[in-house]
Amino acid sequence: MNGSNNIIAAELVKVSKIFSRSGNEVTALNNVTFRTAMGEMVLLLGPSGSGKTTLLTLLAGLQQPTRGDVFIFGRKVQDYRIVELQKIRARQMGFIFQTFCLLDSLRVIDNVTLVMKFAGISSKAARVHATECLERFGVGHLRNEFPGKLSQGEKQRVAVARAIAAGAKLILADEPTGSLPTEQGMTIIEFLHKSVATDNISVAIASHDERISKYADRVLHIRDGILT
Amino acid sequence: MYALKTLAKQYVRFIITAIGIALCLMLMLFLLAIYYGVSDASVRYVRESDADIWVLQRHAANLLRGTSLLSVHHGEMIKQVKGVKSIAPLLFFTATVNVPDNTASMHLVGYDPATGKGGPPKMVAGDTLRNDDQIILDYTFAAKYRLKVGDKLPIRDDTLTVAGLCEGTNLFVIQFAFITLRKARELLGFQSILSCFQVMVESGSDPIAVAANIRAVSSDIAVYDRVTFLNNNIHEAESGVMPLLYVVALIGAVVLTALLSLILSVYVLEQQKDYAIMKALGSPAGFIPGIVIQQALMLAASGLIIALLLFNPMLDAVKRFSPTISAESSANQILIVAGGLFIISLLSTILPLLRQRRIYPLDVFR
Repeated sequence: MNGSNNIIAAELVKVSKIFSRSGNEVTALNNVTFRTAMGEMVLLLGPSGSGKTTLLTLLAGLQQPTRGDVFIFGRKVQDYRIVELQKIRARQMGFIFQTFCLLDSLRVIDNVTLVMKFAGISSKAARVHATECLERFGVGHLRNEFPGKLSQGEKQRVAVARAIAAGAKLILADEPTGSLPTEQGMTIIEFLHKSVATDNISVAIASHDERISKYADRVLHIRDGILT
Repeated sequence: MYALKTLAKQYVRFIITAIGIALCLMLMLFLLAIYYGVSDASVRYVRESDADIWVLQRHAANLLRGTSLLSVHHGEMIKQVKGVKSIAPLLFFTATVNVPDNTASMHLVGYDPATGKGGPPKMVAGDTLRNDDQIILDYTFAAKYRLKVGDKLPIRDDTLTVAGLCEGTNLFVIQFAFITLRKARELLGFQSILSCFQVMVESGSDPIAVAANIRAVSSDIAVYDRVTFLNNNIHEAESGVMPLLYVVALIGAVVLTALLSLILSVYVLEQQKDYAIMKALGSPAGFIPGIVIQQALMLAASGLIIALLLFNPMLDAVKRFSPTISAESSANQILIVAGGLFIISLLSTILPLLRQRRIYPLDVFR
């Protein structure tokens, strides 16, 4: 899987992101050019504070670059209206977080169907497909449990199911193994790796965990906002 | 679904909030019930009278507040007017009476028991007056001071026996009591003084035309047809302390809005992380505001249900505790309060909705 079809999911072109904190300017990203294509898994490897999460949030259209251009599915992010970006995040993007970010007051199945609802999928179809996704990642039997009852590994599997269920083309994973024991963490990465092949999706992972490297099609190092 | 689940998750808070809302609604319902109850009771004596025309002293417009002094001579003049069938002289004055362990004020009405005109609108116990030493009390007054038919009631230098109890004569701050016209004059010490005349017109006569005829015979009287006089009294009843009830009800509504707004804001703060996640995952623009509005309506509906379940028992208890309180609840009042609650629910979401706008999806990545 080397992004063989070369369809670009998201792209940063000479992007800089500068934050102003207490009157001081902090450069989170410095003239970064990056792309992720369908059918590939890209790993952004870097220590904490290196700018990898900022890069992911730019790819998600959650913030604007200070300089440079961000393209999401071929269109400049500034050209999208807010509503369009919301729809794209709901229908074409999936998110995986270090702390899972499941909604504790909803059952596992409802966590997954909620995102599908955002994507405009009917409740009945969402329920059927959500169940399939949960089974695919080995947590189908937990669909009526609340997240609080689940182990860390189970929670992350649910999060992966949620990210993929609505038919996302681009998965953005921020430290997906950060809260998991080694074995469970690699299981999650294996799931994502398989999904890249079976669903022809693009996965961008931001992590400091070098063990993920062996699953990635490309590994990019980031440090102090500079991509190498 | 999410709105309900987040409410149900903190069920103790949900119940306490619903009870708080219910108490505010019960206060509003209670004040409305008093407003309508007192407004109705204050004019019931006039409304249920079969007089076609009321004659009072010039510038006097109602029976509730104001003084009207006429003489028997006016009655003689009115009787002569064309179209007048009969007149009923009435004498009103306020008196302090000795009740068990206390004193109380009552609005005494002297009337002629032989004709019954101007007497109690409806008897609920005992009998009408048979002699000058009897009195008919408003039943709420009697209940308040634990008086019953047959009891003796000292008034000024006299003592009267309670002959009966009537209703429709409770003005909230004071109640009517009925004695004979002769006894009223005796207690007051003026034999030729009267307060007003009820006039009954001959069959086929136009009361308005007859009223005009009466006006023509004397310039120091005020003459009102039945409808005008009733409206005068309604206006007086509603323009007294009654608007204060609306002010208190309004304060209740403001307190309720603040309470609901505060609770909804707490929910928004507690769900801040969830809302940030939803926004990051692409929730539509109206989704989270929809949750807040649903929560407001669910809390309001729960409060309304509790209020409706408790209101009538509470009203009964209040009436038992304080019989002179005239309070009448109706479906109309419930609809008014429910409509007000709907508006309050929507208003109370303004601050929480502004708060949720300051939750950013980027917060999830921090």
